[in-house]
Amino acid sequence: MHGRVKVRTTEEERERKKKEQALKVRAYRAAMGRIQKKRDAGELDNEMLSLTVQILLRNPDVSTLWNIRRECVLEKLSRLKEEETACETPGEEKPEEENQTVEDKTGEEKAAAEDKSHSIFTCELDLTEQCLMVNPKSYNAWHHRCWTLEQNPRADWQREVQLCNKYLKFDERNFHTWDYRRYVTGKAMVPAAQELDFCTEKIRVNFSNYSSWHHRSLLLPELYPNQQRDRPMSEEKLQKELEMVLTAAFTDPNDSSAWFYQRWLLGSGAQLDRAPRIAAFRLESHGAILALDKPYPDITQLKTELVGGGQTILLESWLPVDKRGTSWKCQQNFDYQRKSTYSLRLSDQKVDLLPLSGSENGAYYFAPPHGTASCSKDLLAELQTQLQSCLDLLEFEPDSKWTLLTSALLMRAIDFSANHETSLAHLAKLEKVDSLREGYYKDLAARWTLEWELAKWPQSADFPKRFDIADDVLLESLPYDQYLVIADEITLPNKLRDKLGESVPKTFADLKLQS
Amino acid sequence: MDFTTFVKPSNGGGDGGAGDADGGGQKLQFWKHVEYIENHGKQEDDYEYCMTEFLRMSGIYWGTTALDIMGQLERLERKSIIEFVKRCQCPNTGGFAPCEGHDPHLLYTLSAIQILCTYDALEEIDREAVVRFVVGLQQPDGSFFGDKWGEVDTRFSFCAVASLTLLGRMEQTIDVEKAVKFVLSCCNQTDGGFGSKPGAESHAGLIYCCVGFFSLTHRLHLLDVDKLGWWLCERQLPSGGLNGRPEKLPDVCYSWWVLASLTIMGRLHWISSEKLQQFILSCQDTETGGFSDRTGNMPDIFHTLFGIGGLSLLGHSGLKAINPTLCMPQYIIDRLGIKPQRLPRP
Repeated sequence: MHGRVKVRTTEEERERKKKEQALKVRAYRAAMGRIQKKRDAGELDNEMLSLTVQILLRNPDVSTLWNIRRECVLEKLSRLKEEETACETPGEEKPEEENQTVEDKTGEEKAAAEDKSHSIFTCELDLTEQCLMVNPKSYNAWHHRCWTLEQNPRADWQREVQLCNKYLKFDERNFHTWDYRRYVTGKAMVPAAQELDFCTEKIRVNFSNYSSWHHRSLLLPELYPNQQRDRPMSEEKLQKELEMVLTAAFTDPNDSSAWFYQRWLLGSGAQLDRAPRIAAFRLESHGAILALDKPYPDITQLKTELVGGGQTILLESWLPVDKRGTSWKCQQNFDYQRKSTYSLRLSDQKVDLLPLSGSENGAYYFAPPHGTASCSKDLLAELQTQLQSCLDLLEFEPDSKWTLLTSALLMRAIDFSANHETSLAHLAKLEKVDSLREGYYKDLAARWTLEWELAKWPQSADFPKRFDIADDVLLESLPYDQYLVIADEITLPNKLRDKLGESVPKTFADLKLQS
Repeated sequence: MDFTTFVKPSNGGGDGGAGDADGGGQKLQFWKHVEYIENHGKQEDDYEYCMTEFLRMSGIYWGTTALDIMGQLERLERKSIIEFVKRCQCPNTGGFAPCEGHDPHLLYTLSAIQILCTYDALEEIDREAVVRFVVGLQQPDGSFFGDKWGEVDTRFSFCAVASLTLLGRMEQTIDVEKAVKFVLSCCNQTDGGFGSKPGAESHAGLIYCCVGFFSLTHRLHLLDVDKLGWWLCERQLPSGGLNGRPEKLPDVCYSWWVLASLTIMGRLHWISSEKLQQFILSCQDTETGGFSDRTGNMPDIFHTLFGIGGLSLLGHSGLKAINPTLCMPQYIIDRLGIKPQRLPRP
């Protein structure tokens, strides 16, 4: 039960309402009793249909009554079919010259039967429409509508699209209507470009409409695919979308819908079911260690091969290094040849290994977590214009939450390394102005800090053997810790080390001791 | 037990921990809620009660679970509830109807199994028939119908794996890989959330079902926790309450769905627990007991469970711990030897 305000009523009113409700209860019970009796007797007739209407119009959530109606519909349809086949069988006794008229007759009867079945479907569609007026969020009424249309080979899908337009005018956030829209536009084969126009129009009327933005996010990657797969859509379209969404967001900076969409635009467009990629790898003659950029608990499903020294070695029997399934060790002996070059293959990914510097035998690979996506000149210019607009707005409204966050995201999209300190300052400010989510901003700051530290790690002395984070770096947690497994020694800020306790990440040196 | 013969302990007391003021502002009206749930359904001719018979089984699950969390389960008659549940099992399909005279459905099958688990009475029913019912509803694409009439929804994927998990029959029954694939296909790129079917807008209630589904199938690594967690923590509004989608009003039931999802994902600290507790407590009906969706609205049994459950997850004193995945007392989940997956805090 949602949105029913508790109101004070007089004793008199309460009594009157009680009586009224008692009558309704009696009527409901009587109808339900009659329906059950008829169902038990297999009487799936017109009376049954009208009995269920009485209740469904008041309460479309009684799913059993919809089931009964479906039984009635199926019963009626199968009767029609029986009548039809009964008409199709004659002919044998009739003289040949009359055959023509018989065919005509069956044609007519067929049309009549089609009309009859059409009226059966119309009756159901009308009822669901009435019920949806009472409760536009009734799962049952929506499903019954879909079911009815699926039964009808001559369903008018175009009409259903029009119906959605109408319903979305009443409530443009009703997710049932949007779901139904996606279903019927598919059936009516409405082109995606036309749907996008519909969406643009909806947003133009009211940009505070997360449902429209969502619908849009499904259409764009399909209409404007990104070839490199590092952005949600083509750069050209992305630029236009960024312009559009910022205009919307600035109209009311406190409305979250457009800001969410913008953060998606600025993201990588990565799919959830994307295969894990090699984050870090280190090899020596009696074993190897592998870190993945995202967890994958069953590494045996990924084929891992070491190619080099004139041979291909299958790396097997991986043991987990952490509980998340992001880092693994393999205690296999190799005939490591210092003069050979090696590469590692993980499913369809292949990376070249670099030899360790100094006298130590072994090779490694490392790819920091923050990858830079492709960025054309035009797109970069757009991002810079947007950043400037955000910074201008912050002059007037320094506490504007969404502007603070978005400008930090834009800075990182432009040059995350150069803007590292400033973007962290924005997060620190967000912890204050949006204190409900303080914990989120702290964790995000930790992520951004590690992304920065890991990006500059390859330039540091003793890479990859040593990893240092200065003691004055503020860190609440240690994300991306699997990237550190290739180091022999890790220096972390004391405060963080105390906090991590037992869960300080394992190093290559630790793991060597265990082997 | 009839409420008229029940004497309320004065000044709270007992192990109920009534009236603990750890929410700041309002206190938990412990005994009022016990009374509200206990009385719910005693007036068989009550209009609301009658009009909600189509979900009776879930209603009983909401009531028994809330009472158990408050340590007051014995106030309801175990025997008559189990008898009712048994009468609702369909002899043909093995599924459970919400009440007699209605048709079986996955939604009420899960509720029935949850009630029986609470009463440690699974052996009272034909369990194999339930397994057959659930297995029979899985489709070639891995999704689940709610019943034979073909509605597909991620809620039903959750109901299926939750029912089988509670029955201890996840092995060698449904095609888990396909089921996982279907739920994944309902994930939205924009926010990492889930809707009821592929392409459907993200919605906190369905996100709970999908996160719960991955928790039960031990596939939480498939989630984009940072993206989804952010969207979820953005559901918290200045009142402390959580909404189910952007730019919507806060609601006690959405508060549970978001809170439970964040807890499963190890991101409870991304919202303010203190403010949420204040909001939930503000939705109590201090006269009749029970919780409503929002402050000042009419209470109902559904929001009462999610109010109590939310407070339990937030660690309110005097309440038993609740399992965020199955929305049942943790001690029952332990008794069954079930371990739904949970991610650690980063």
